[in-house]
Amino acid sequence: MAVGALTTLLVCLYLVSAASATQSVRLDPSFTPYRLGAPVTIGLSLQIAAPPGQLPSALTEIEVRYPENLGFALSGLGKAVCSPAMLEAAGASGCPADSIMGRGNATAELRFGPQLVSERASVSIARAPDQEGHIALLLYASGPSPVNTQILSPAQLLPSSPPFGGRLNMQLPIIPSVPGAADVAIVALNVTIGPQGLTYYERAEGATLAYTPKGILLPNTCPHGGFPFAATFSFLDGSHPEARAVLPCPRRRAHRR
Amino acid sequence: MTPQVRRRATAAVCGALAAGLLATATQYAHAYAGQSTQRAHAAHVLSATDTAHLRYVSSSGSLLLDEGKATGTLPGSMRVRLDLGTSFTGTFTIRASGGSIEGHGNATPHGSGTYESFSGTLTVTGGSGRYAHAHGHGNLYGTFDRNNYALVIKTTGSLSY
Repeated sequence: MAVGALTTLLVCLYLVSAASATQSVRLDPSFTPYRLGAPVTIGLSLQIAAPPGQLPSALTEIEVRYPENLGFALSGLGKAVCSPAMLEAAGASGCPADSIMGRGNATAELRFGPQLVSERASVSIARAPDQEGHIALLLYASGPSPVNTQILSPAQLLPSSPPFGGRLNMQLPIIPSVPGAADVAIVALNVTIGPQGLTYYERAEGATLAYTPKGILLPNTCPHGGFPFAATFSFLDGSHPEARAVLPCPRRRAHRR
Repeated sequence: MTPQVRRRATAAVCGALAAGLLATATQYAHAYAGQSTQRAHAAHVLSATDTAHLRYVSSSGSLLLDEGKATGTLPGSMRVRLDLGTSFTGTFTIRASGGSIEGHGNATPHGSGTYESFSGTLTVTGGSGRYAHAHGHGNLYGTFDRNNYALVIKTTGSLSY
């Protein structure tokens, strides 16, 4: 009986280990424009890959750690808040324009019989009411076909330890696929947080004026070795692979005489 | 109106100021018995309430330098260096009559909008002149104007020097 239990345990351990090896992850951050001391838009490209013909496990959480000394509070982003009820009722267009902090897209895969089918969704990132003293965000993804899907994911900016200045934690819901098939698997998430493509509005002297928010201020100096980023992905199969990336310091411009 | 940093003279109004001095507390002297070569050391304990209206000076990443006028128990000028990360941390210098007071503090931001409020604690760690031996603790709260980076900081607490 003991041998049987041990065998079962070993099989389970093997399965967990095998499951952990079924997906690889990649993180590609960017600053646009990339100029020290300037306000920028942060780009995060997150990729998940499984062996050919296989679906990655369903993603349940992503935590992106970003460098120290990024001026989120000085960005002018997220001056208004959007509630989950607003997003659920009318999508991102139901939110105040001044609450939108970023945009992007996500790609998911699902299995229809023997075929793997891709679905692309647009993503909006909105400022939400603070949660337990932390800046809260909402990710809203909307994909029309082949499965009409709207996903609302809570996110928070949380403290982190050096060399990181904070971490963006995103909780992702399980997205059921067709009956009998594996859950929908997110394979790519490309988002920007910053003024790129955003228009805010303010009242001044009786008129409503449109403007582009400032952006996330970069420090005047580059940290030694570049700006470090890291992302931990949590999957339904229990695996937590990590991806790291460093944005090299920008080249100094040659001074012209 | 451009969203660029605007040096508006009007900073955020953060509610009514509990005006002025809460109390000036005790003043006492210690004599060092049997040590005539040592100078008697006078200590002052103040229960202080101050308000500072600070304007933007410079920034780099999440670091912000503001300075301006402080009014209340210890009127003078105030300069703060803040790191506006997931929480607000920073150092301050108050230049008052007879010397300066230095310390550090941290605060948690609340809410969104043009004016972001915050609250936290501060510690006085030293100073110069008549405040060379200053120390104390207190609470702080205020607002941060996300348009022009101006700060209104209200402090209450006790100061020994």
